[in-house]
Amino acid sequence: MHSDKTLESFTVPIGPQHPALKEPEHFLITVDGEIVTKAVVRLGYAHRGVEKATESRNWVQNLYLLERICGICSHIHATAYCLGVEQLAAVEVPPRAQAIRVLVAEMERIHSHLLWLGVAAHEAGFDTLFMYSWRDRETIMDLLESLSGNRVNYSVNVLGGVKIDIDDDLAQLILDGIHYLEERTHHYLDVVTSDAMFLQRTRGIGVMNRSQAEVLGTVGPTARASNVARDIRVEAPYGAYANYPVWITLDERGDLEARFVVRIKELFESFRIIREIVKTLPPGDLTTRIPRRIKAGETVSRVEAPRGELFYFIKSNGTDIPERIKVRTPTICNMMSVVKLAIGHQLADVPMIVVGIDPCFSCNDRMVLIDHGRNKQSGWTWEALRRYGIEYYQGHPR
Amino acid sequence: MNTKEALEIGRQIAEEWVWKTETDAPEPNRLDVTLTSIDDLVPMVVALRVKRLGYLAAITGLDLGSESGELEVMYHFCTAAAVITLRVRVSREQASVPSLCSVIPSAEAFERELSEMFGVEVTGLPNPLRLYLPDDWPENVYPLRKDMDEETLSLQETLGEF
Repeated sequence: MHSDKTLESFTVPIGPQHPALKEPEHFLITVDGEIVTKAVVRLGYAHRGVEKATESRNWVQNLYLLERICGICSHIHATAYCLGVEQLAAVEVPPRAQAIRVLVAEMERIHSHLLWLGVAAHEAGFDTLFMYSWRDRETIMDLLESLSGNRVNYSVNVLGGVKIDIDDDLAQLILDGIHYLEERTHHYLDVVTSDAMFLQRTRGIGVMNRSQAEVLGTVGPTARASNVARDIRVEAPYGAYANYPVWITLDERGDLEARFVVRIKELFESFRIIREIVKTLPPGDLTTRIPRRIKAGETVSRVEAPRGELFYFIKSNGTDIPERIKVRTPTICNMMSVVKLAIGHQLADVPMIVVGIDPCFSCNDRMVLIDHGRNKQSGWTWEALRRYGIEYYQGHPR
Repeated sequence: MNTKEALEIGRQIAEEWVWKTETDAPEPNRLDVTLTSIDDLVPMVVALRVKRLGYLAAITGLDLGSESGELEVMYHFCTAAAVITLRVRVSREQASVPSLCSVIPSAEAFERELSEMFGVEVTGLPNPLRLYLPDDWPENVYPLRKDMDEETLSLQETLGEF
């Protein structure tokens, strides 16, 4: 018997609002049965116009604006910006400030990786690991809070230095916290490499070999899990990393399990660096003077965010307002790998593959929408919003 | 490959091969290559790829202002600490650059961003749809151009019918 019924494809929209996604993003997944045959991503749901906004604020205001690109990796954004501006102004930052910047950056990496571990475990349905890792993450959040006064957006950096200092009590607090977290991290490494149920969700899933990782332009732990030795802290040590060298963490397998292992092993490296800095913190000033107007010029500032290379291009025209600031965040580099990797997998694996790159959509979508706050006429007034609400519900009775 | 080697190879390609370029080293770890002809862009990128200087870190658009009538597009290639930047200038009215997707597939996202933010047409882009801007964003309004007037975008235009 002959059937000439053509194969129909079925497209599943995921997002922008979806229980499997923690932030707004839209995926169009074409499936044949349960198998993904095509994936398309649409970004931009968290666009705020930050790059445009930098062009109407002065150098100091921009520090606080750029720090708010992302809540998880706020410090590294500010660090990338400060390093670039200080480079343009030819200002030398005191060694103590440089060490404190790196210290906070590594603490931020710990908090980010533990947060990710929880989210990823949750996506795999392993909520026990999610609860435990987030409980332990509170340790580092408390440390960051005692250090800076904030759980997120620490505002540690200022142009020309840092605004927090570390005394002996705080140093001891950090060492105690790190000691506890290190013990727990050994346990997590053991769990993600031995739990049979969990391994079914990670081993051999979303495999990306080395040449694919290079061609797709991945960065950070996603690239390192595919054995691509790409870590700005190692390749181009900035700030105090010249004095506190980092050992790169690599894995050859390139699957989801490797991404778990790489991130967890990186935590040990962060613990080691934090201990070293706390023990050998150089004495001296915290800030140096920096002019209000920055000399005309261009610079490129690259730092290693928890998710990979963060790239800033900064151009000054000699005034107190930048000419152009370009931000390229790691997620945009890694996101394109997701749509390629998803093909051929079960639809149920897609959330895990997405979460495997540790996507940060706020970082990704930082760029353009008109700043309504400054121009009342063209923005939503409360009255307009209220009217819109009334009209909407008249048309859509509940 | 270390930073010094990468910069040296980049300089050799830019200066000793056939295309017309001007090179500059604004900072010790950087090499700026200004291409005088847009036709040289793709061959030059192929040359960088062949020499394995091929990590495209970002594409930056720059509006040089309406007086100069030009936009600048920068392609940043990173190896270790070295940043090799290919710079091309295009006119504001007929801004167009060739797509690098055939050589570097990961360029797609950067090129789509460049195209919607600066109004630079990227020829040969497999998927030229918007990446970040809303679907109902008005045509021919390019937010990162210096002369974009925020006030001309009314509530209606920005948010569509409601």
